[in-house]
Amino acid sequence: MQALSALFPPNEFSLIAVILGLPALGAFVNGVFGKRLGKEGVRLMALAAVVGSFLASIVAFLMLRSSEQTQFTWTAWHWLDLSTRNGLGRAPVDVAFMIDRLNSVMMLVITGVGSLIHLYASSYMWDDTRADGGYHRFFAYLNLFVFSMLVLVLGSSLPILFVGWEGVGLCSYLLIGFWYSDNANASAGKKAFIANRIGDFGLLVAMALLVVYTGALDWTGINMGSGGLIEPVKIWPLGRGIPEDSFIPAVVRGFLNTEVNVTAATLVALMLFLGAAGKSAQLPLYVWLPDAMAGPTPVSALIHAATMVTAGIYLICRLSGVFLLSPPAMAVVAVIGLLTALLAASIGLVQNDIKKVLAYSTVSQLGYMFLGVGVGAFTAGFFHVFTHAFFKACLFLGAGSVIHAMHVGIHDTNASQDMRHMGGMRKWMPITHVTFLVSCLAIAGIFPFAGFFSKDEILLHAFGNKIVPPMGSGWQAPDWFGPMLYVGGLAGATMTAFYMFRAYFLTFWGDFRGWKVNPALAAHGHDHHGHDDHHGHDDHHGHDDHHGEYVHDPNREAPAPHESPWQMTIPLAVLGFLAVVAGFFNATMFQHFGLDLTFLHHWLEPVFRGAEYSVKVREGVDLHKLELVFGGIGFAIGCLGIGIAYFVYMMKNGEPTRVLAERFPRLYRLLSDKWRVDELYEATVIGQVDALADSANKFDKWVVDGVLAKLTSAVVAGFGVVLRAAQTGMVHAYAFFMVVGLGAMGWYFTKPHPVLEVRDAGPGKVVLEASAGLGYEYKWHSKDPETPDEDVWSLRRSIEIDAPKDGETKRVRLQVKNAFSRKAIVELEIPTLAAKGGERTSAIQGGNLR
Amino acid sequence: MIPLEYYLVLAALIFTVGAVGFLVRRNLLVQLMCLELMLNAVNVTLVAFNRFRQDDHAGQVFAFFVIAVAAAEAAVGLAIVMALYRLRRSVRSDEADLLKN
Repeated sequence: MQALSALFPPNEFSLIAVILGLPALGAFVNGVFGKRLGKEGVRLMALAAVVGSFLASIVAFLMLRSSEQTQFTWTAWHWLDLSTRNGLGRAPVDVAFMIDRLNSVMMLVITGVGSLIHLYASSYMWDDTRADGGYHRFFAYLNLFVFSMLVLVLGSSLPILFVGWEGVGLCSYLLIGFWYSDNANASAGKKAFIANRIGDFGLLVAMALLVVYTGALDWTGINMGSGGLIEPVKIWPLGRGIPEDSFIPAVVRGFLNTEVNVTAATLVALMLFLGAAGKSAQLPLYVWLPDAMAGPTPVSALIHAATMVTAGIYLICRLSGVFLLSPPAMAVVAVIGLLTALLAASIGLVQNDIKKVLAYSTVSQLGYMFLGVGVGAFTAGFFHVFTHAFFKACLFLGAGSVIHAMHVGIHDTNASQDMRHMGGMRKWMPITHVTFLVSCLAIAGIFPFAGFFSKDEILLHAFGNKIVPPMGSGWQAPDWFGPMLYVGGLAGATMTAFYMFRAYFLTFWGDFRGWKVNPALAAHGHDHHGHDDHHGHDDHHGHDDHHGEYVHDPNREAPAPHESPWQMTIPLAVLGFLAVVAGFFNATMFQHFGLDLTFLHHWLEPVFRGAEYSVKVREGVDLHKLELVFGGIGFAIGCLGIGIAYFVYMMKNGEPTRVLAERFPRLYRLLSDKWRVDELYEATVIGQVDALADSANKFDKWVVDGVLAKLTSAVVAGFGVVLRAAQTGMVHAYAFFMVVGLGAMGWYFTKPHPVLEVRDAGPGKVVLEASAGLGYEYKWHSKDPETPDEDVWSLRRSIEIDAPKDGETKRVRLQVKNAFSRKAIVELEIPTLAAKGGERTSAIQGGNLR
Repeated sequence: MIPLEYYLVLAALIFTVGAVGFLVRRNLLVQLMCLELMLNAVNVTLVAFNRFRQDDHAGQVFAFFVIAVAAAEAAVGLAIVMALYRLRRSVRSDEADLLKN
């Protein structure tokens, strides 16, 4: 360990380069040379890259544990300098990374779960024929994702985080649309990308605001400058508001001009939350995550359950100092989290696609995490990220395993994921069954599985916490706020337990509803290709049967589904095991029995130390006493959900749901249509954008193309047609025009064309100046227009005379003679100063009086 | 001393002969000669004006410039006439209309 510390000093911790570099190398090698490497080579490269990164992460974690430093930093290079408010200071942005107590845990989860899922995917994707050259492309993207995610969590400033943030968004897009030949998959990828962009806008605005109000973008700088965030900011009216003399009635104007002030912290926190809501699929931007299940199942497990979607929670934990300055923003986070949890859970109740159930469950659980961080229980929220990564990844991989087994008999993508076609799978898939059950227990919050501890802690703090505003003044959540969050959370937890066990019972119990199992057929093709024999069927039939309308025929004969190969079951087993034990990393309630199982709490303490000043316990609430009571309630609620699911789907075989659906058909349709949120967006936002795009298109077609381009070109072409007649190519013609022009110029120059100007020259004086010309000579009549001042031709071009008195004008005359002795006369009326009201400047083109 | 007007009238006559010749003849060699006539008419006016302005030599210097330019122009012009002859087997200027329209 000491040798390692010497090799990697805390302020020059280049081990981060290894952790980051290996997945990047894997992505590069697989992406560029993947075709030549072959599948074996790609698998080796991808796995080696991620496992190597995982091992390096473990080393880094252990070093951090034994070190006295709270963080290790590594600066790759200096990127740019931003000037801060009014250009007074500079906020340097370095390409710098750091490992501290918060992101070291994330790093382990990303690389650890990532390794398991890479192993799983190496088998799952082995015989994929749906996208050409798919295998190396898939692993290039997956490695790139791990790299981007590591950049996201290890970056030591907001811009670096943003680079990773966009990187994971890109990988998410690429992997959702991995089977791009199917239009639905491609548009699901696009939807994810666009929904995320809305969130990214918030993040960018937050960055700009942070530069203005804290003068820094790195974590330490933001925390040090966070005092500047208390400053109030006027957000309405824009500019100076509606002016007094506008046509808008005074009442309306007064209303519109009402000043709205918030603190900068609220603004920054809400903008950050917009970004977090995009990435972590919260209201109103959650709609992309259920559609993201169009990607391959390992992708859903890694990106859309375990890692990327938790980036929003990580962001809030990381900038908890900013969020805590704004109780309103914290309340918004908590309420949005709760609403998302409830909405997604209610949709999950009626979904039939197993991956859709898990997707809505993910949205719901992410809502719980936001509820946790929104009430200031950062450790609890982060703990749920940690446990959720294991059990949800396990659930997704289990679902993938089941779907894979279903492909023996059903080759339609949607039909193979439909739980109505499953049932009784536990007979054939014992390992998948046990791990799925364990994870279901964990997510349902059954003691002593992982989800119990994390969810319980969130609900406990939701009940008891309150956020104290900075300096003790400002908006504060009312007393009923905590209990409301708690009751809502319990309702969501019941639904979670119900729909997860609904999925479990429908999939693994009862009779198999997919097809008629004929064991004689099962012998075909077995043991010929080793582990991947079951993919063989896909090869024959192809994965793309689903283009046609699938008609389910339960009487068709096919071989029995069977357990997945070891590459898929080992990750399941490891994740299932973690789903059981991960809760003990922060099982605070064991303190009542003298057991200190609060590793995570102690570990994260330095990170969230500042929260002590803002996060208090509500008066009259003893969290310590309530902990066991609430634990019992949570357990009971979980059991209740499971009990209902058991009653409905095991004892009554699903009959009560049909009755309910018939009695409340509109409610049922509303739920199965996902509250028609997509339709709402389609009708409002997307419709408006489409209309805007339409009018922009029309403008482009008629105004830009029609008037600006075609009309101008037609005018020029018309001139061309006319002028072309003059372009004879004959030298004489050109010479003739030249001679004519020469003659015209000669005619012009034989006559004088004088211009006379007058301008002020000091008090009471004006200067008259005549233009020069070929041999011009002048005779001035400045006193009397009829008689010249001197009766000789002179070369004096300008004279100075007395200005006319106020209210009077003066007339001057000038005679000009040119080299040909031809004469011209100019007369000018010098205006009075008062009439012109300013400076006296005028000119007159010479007219020939004679 | 011969008055200035005499020179100017002579120059105007020569210039007119050159200009009209340039316009009415179609043989490029003749047209080049007409060009020389016009240039030399201008030279006559320049030198004549200079004769009546003793303190200034700009007119004479300018006449030398015109002669130099005329020499260069004759060289280039004859080369063009040669090239045209090789292309068209003719030195008629109304057949050299490749640039029309």
